[in-house]
Amino acid sequence: MKHLTEEELVDHYYGEATNPADIESHLHACNVCAENYATLQQDLASIKSPAVPVRDASYGDQVWKSLRNSVPVYEKQKRRWLHFNLAQGLGYATACIVLIAAAFFAGRQWEHRKHPSTQLAGNNQPARPIILVVLGDHLDRSERLLVELNHANDVSAVMPVKAEAQDLLSANRLYRESATRAGDPQLTAALDRLERVLVEIVNAPDSSSPAQLARLQKEMNTDGLLFEVRVLRSRIPDQQKNSAVRTKGVSI
Amino acid sequence: MEENDHSIIRAVLSGDKEAYGALVVRHSHAVFRVAFRITGDEADAEEVVQEAFLRGYQRLESFESRSQFGTWIYRIAVNCALNMMNKRKLEATHQIAEDADPTQQQVQVADTAADPERLLLSQEIEALQVRAMQRLTATERTAFVLRHMEARSTDEIAAALHIAPNAAKQAVFRAVQKLRRGLAPLRTNA
Repeated sequence: MKHLTEEELVDHYYGEATNPADIESHLHACNVCAENYATLQQDLASIKSPAVPVRDASYGDQVWKSLRNSVPVYEKQKRRWLHFNLAQGLGYATACIVLIAAAFFAGRQWEHRKHPSTQLAGNNQPARPIILVVLGDHLDRSERLLVELNHANDVSAVMPVKAEAQDLLSANRLYRESATRAGDPQLTAALDRLERVLVEIVNAPDSSSPAQLARLQKEMNTDGLLFEVRVLRSRIPDQQKNSAVRTKGVSI
Repeated sequence: MEENDHSIIRAVLSGDKEAYGALVVRHSHAVFRVAFRITGDEADAEEVVQEAFLRGYQRLESFESRSQFGTWIYRIAVNCALNMMNKRKLEATHQIAEDADPTQQQVQVADTAADPERLLLSQEIEALQVRAMQRLTATERTAFVLRHMEARSTDEIAAALHIAPNAAKQAVFRAVQKLRRGLAPLRTNA
């Protein structure tokens, strides 16, 4: 049988043995260990705590009186609070700055992302509505001019038509070129014929007789051209409606 | 109780120095008791009490609110007492070297009223015990006092002495061994 060590007995005496039940059963079974433990108990029990001198109720006050003059008043706590508040304030300020910077940066990123798309759209889409609107106006004026030309019966009626034709001619040239670039042969052809009529009207002598006007109307087939202009004008609202989704084709 | 301690500490740290007096009054007796048991000397114990509360005041900012002030100041007092013991042992070594006067070996024991025979035996036991205690190192004595007289656990002793639990346990065991050897004459007489 393995006997208990003195250290194990001491631990058991102070109630810190890892297996007190095992030690107790061993002490019951082993006389040697039981005798050793009894001796240990006797020795430790004989060591009494020295009687502590009694201190009266005012002892604490006496201790404090002897100390109070040698300790400073705490002001560090206030400073610490100040530092804490200052640090907290700085923290909040920093957080605000970071948030503002982040918002600014995010805004800029948003703008950067948004801008190219508008530019892309601008390359394909926005020009078309502008052309369509202006072309609509141009076609209106051209239609009125052709109507006036068709109903012009004397020289006095020709002069205002010539001035209007002069004005429309330069604009019509630009629209025709735009329609050519846009790859719209129908519009290009119509504008081309309109341009030729306008050129003829502009170049017509100021003293054109009604007979000359009738010949011009016949040669230029202004009635047919007027029909074409009306057809084109009727297309404009649909074109405007569909322009937002179309990426290719005619720009009216 | 400890809630009050915490509010007092907050008051002290906010600039109310006088509030610390309440903590001193409340805990000075317990601190004196352990200081006396460790040092074995009334004057030294009083000095330890003052030193402990002074250190406590100076370190009050480091006091963690989740702790109990009583436990905290107790540990400070144990350390102060340990330092005092080391200081006294050093002084005693010098004195013995300079003047080996046996009267210097006299120890202070509490007076217990009893019949002359028992008083004589009691004084003999106490004298043996005191001599045996004097043979302990400061750490062994402190650890033993905390274990045997203050009924502190090994972990508490380790925390108070800032040593590992195993070292605290060994200190207690060595102290018990030395004390038993010192008290052996009583056993043979019996």
